[in-house]
Amino acid sequence: MRKITMRAALLEALNEEMERDETTVLFGEDVGKFGGINAVTKGLYEKFGSTRVFDTPIAEPTIVAAAVGMAITGNARPIPELQFGDFVGIAFDEVFNKMGKWRFMHGGQMEMPVTLRLPIGIAGGAGPEHSQSPQALFMHGPGLQIVIPSTPYDAKGLLKTAIRDNNAVLFFEHKVLYDMKGEVPEEEYLIPFGKADIKRSGTDVTIIATALQVHTALAAADELAVQGVEVEVIDPRTLAPLDMETILESVRKTGRALIVHEEPKTGGSGAEIAAQIQEGALFDLSAPIRRIGSPDVPIAQSIYLEQFYTPSKDQITKAVNELMEY
Amino acid sequence: MAETYVKEVETKSYTKEVLVDFYKTMAKIRKFDENLIKLMAEGKVSGFYHSGIGSEGLSAGSIRQNLRDEDYIYYNHRGCNQKIAKGVPLSKIYGDFLGTIEGTTRGLGAGIVHSADPSRGVLGQAGTIGSQLGLSVGTAYTSKLTGSDQVTVVYFGDGAASREMLHGSLNWAGLYKLPIIYICENNEYAISCHVSETHSVKENIADWADGYGIPNCVVDGNDVLLMHEVVKEAVERAKRGEGPTFIEAQTFRHRGHFEGDPYDYVDVEILQNWKDTKDPITNFAAKLMLDKVVTEEDLEKINKEIDVEIAEAIQKAEAAPLPNPERIYEGLFA
Ligand SMILES: Cc1ncc(C[n+]2csc(CCOP(=O)(O)OP(=O)(O)O)c2C)c(N)n1
Repeated sequence: MRKITMRAALLEALNEEMERDETTVLFGEDVGKFGGINAVTKGLYEKFGSTRVFDTPIAEPTIVAAAVGMAITGNARPIPELQFGDFVGIAFDEVFNKMGKWRFMHGGQMEMPVTLRLPIGIAGGAGPEHSQSPQALFMHGPGLQIVIPSTPYDAKGLLKTAIRDNNAVLFFEHKVLYDMKGEVPEEEYLIPFGKADIKRSGTDVTIIATALQVHTALAAADELAVQGVEVEVIDPRTLAPLDMETILESVRKTGRALIVHEEPKTGGSGAEIAAQIQEGALFDLSAPIRRIGSPDVPIAQSIYLEQFYTPSKDQITKAVNELMEY
Repeated sequence: MAETYVKEVETKSYTKEVLVDFYKTMAKIRKFDENLIKLMAEGKVSGFYHSGIGSEGLSAGSIRQNLRDEDYIYYNHRGCNQKIAKGVPLSKIYGDFLGTIEGTTRGLGAGIVHSADPSRGVLGQAGTIGSQLGLSVGTAYTSKLTGSDQVTVVYFGDGAASREMLHGSLNWAGLYKLPIIYICENNEYAISCHVSETHSVKENIADWADGYGIPNCVVDGNDVLLMHEVVKEAVERAKRGEGPTFIEAQTFRHRGHFEGDPYDYVDVEILQNWKDTKDPITNFAAKLMLDKVVTEEDLEKINKEIDVEIAEAIQKAEAAPLPNPERIYEGLFA
């Protein structure tokens, strides 16, 4: 099968969905002629014109609010972008209270077909306000679906689903993954929300990982296999809805669970997943649930210090070995 | 509508010392920037850098001889122009890029936007551009609270001016008559977008201030003396308790938004024209020589001295160690 980058996969999804549905409208800072600072929207302006693809002022709350205002008319399907996912903080009310709750607050009379794209993650000295992974904040926000792909295949299928969905989607893209290549078929496909993917099967320990950490976990699993420890790596792909069924099934089999993400450990998505594992499978566990996240401090700008934030393969193999002692 | 600030400014109304200080500051800013780009090319500095080359006059003119250490600035994310003009030691700024403990952040690294030197009124900056517009009203309000005559100067780009926060900030500043000087560094572009594509204005960004009853003007930001004069008047007004001023200073960036930006969205001729005819340093040097304030040899000597100062600063910053990894656990709380 052909291999393309996650950037190319995302762009294909945007192209196909914008062709398919002319109510789609894409906007954000530098997404037009420039093609986006991550080059994910290249060529869309030329193809779909300046009304459906436009550069906005630097005004994140207005970007999100405008998307909400478009969506609730029922006549538009907005795909806004925030240049960095960190900037969601600037538009917090618009995301958390408007995008997430408008439909419910008004008795379910309107729909919220918004796909807000948010590039995230530590990616080489970008500093405390351009490197974060804020997705867990929104697990606490009703009305928001949270998508976080780890491969080009997943990215494309999930983005297409997101755009067609009539509910709000926060679509988190790890910046380091943009250049990562993977198999993507030529034919059209969609990936449903709430369906985790088992990226590697194993019998001894379940690792639940997201985004870039799926790849770190897989690398650790390769190493552990040589030692005779078989790790199962599960990528939830969407944190809301969260496919606990797949996770619980795996944990019941292995009896050991490790959750790995780049978000800070405290209050990260792993906290919720761990809580749900113990609710659903406490007596199947033979070891305490472990979590690896980044330290609970702001991300330093220094590229040297940055390495101490991203979970590493060694941290994972060590944690797995410790779990195996039970 | 915003008027264009015009004033006949002659070199003879300044002492030679002051004029040379303006020149030195601009030259230092540019050489700092050029050398930082070199460090990036050598792979010693990473992350994002937005070169400030081309707009040195705006910072040197507004800060030098106008602001004291106790006056506050919120610098913008373009180069290190304002920090240098405010006197933050070069070795400390380089240290913040190199991530050594010489930096103001003692090794956390700061890039452009997180250096701080409260002893010189430099209170930092945000990764989210324009956030300083909100903070500045609080800082300026504090001068009222304590009855001091400290002023707050807040720098931001034309792009940052499109943030909603600007309007909240102007409303507060006008309402409470806060001692703020807004300096909009209008280099026409916010990354790839021309100001005309992203701003709804009568003619100039400064026109927005009109609606809040805030005195405003547009000025040639590449004329260091004009910049000095216009900010001097604003500082005096602020100190008299007459409130804020909004200054839109026009300039242009010589390089792309960040290092590595193809910069192909700007007409090459327009860019060349700014470089050839409106370079703040070249033009000021010519003026100083024409008015016989300095000779070419004087300027050469000054430039050599700056080269030495920069080399020493880099050496000091590079010689300092990286922090130990535990550094990230220090300083979150007092
Ligand atoms: C709130 C926020 N939105 C977007 C960005 C990304 N960004 C950084 S600089 C920039 C353009 C700024 O343009 P301008 O304010 O005109 O300053 P210039 O870079 O031209 O000096 C953008 C969009 C950011 N850092 N913060």
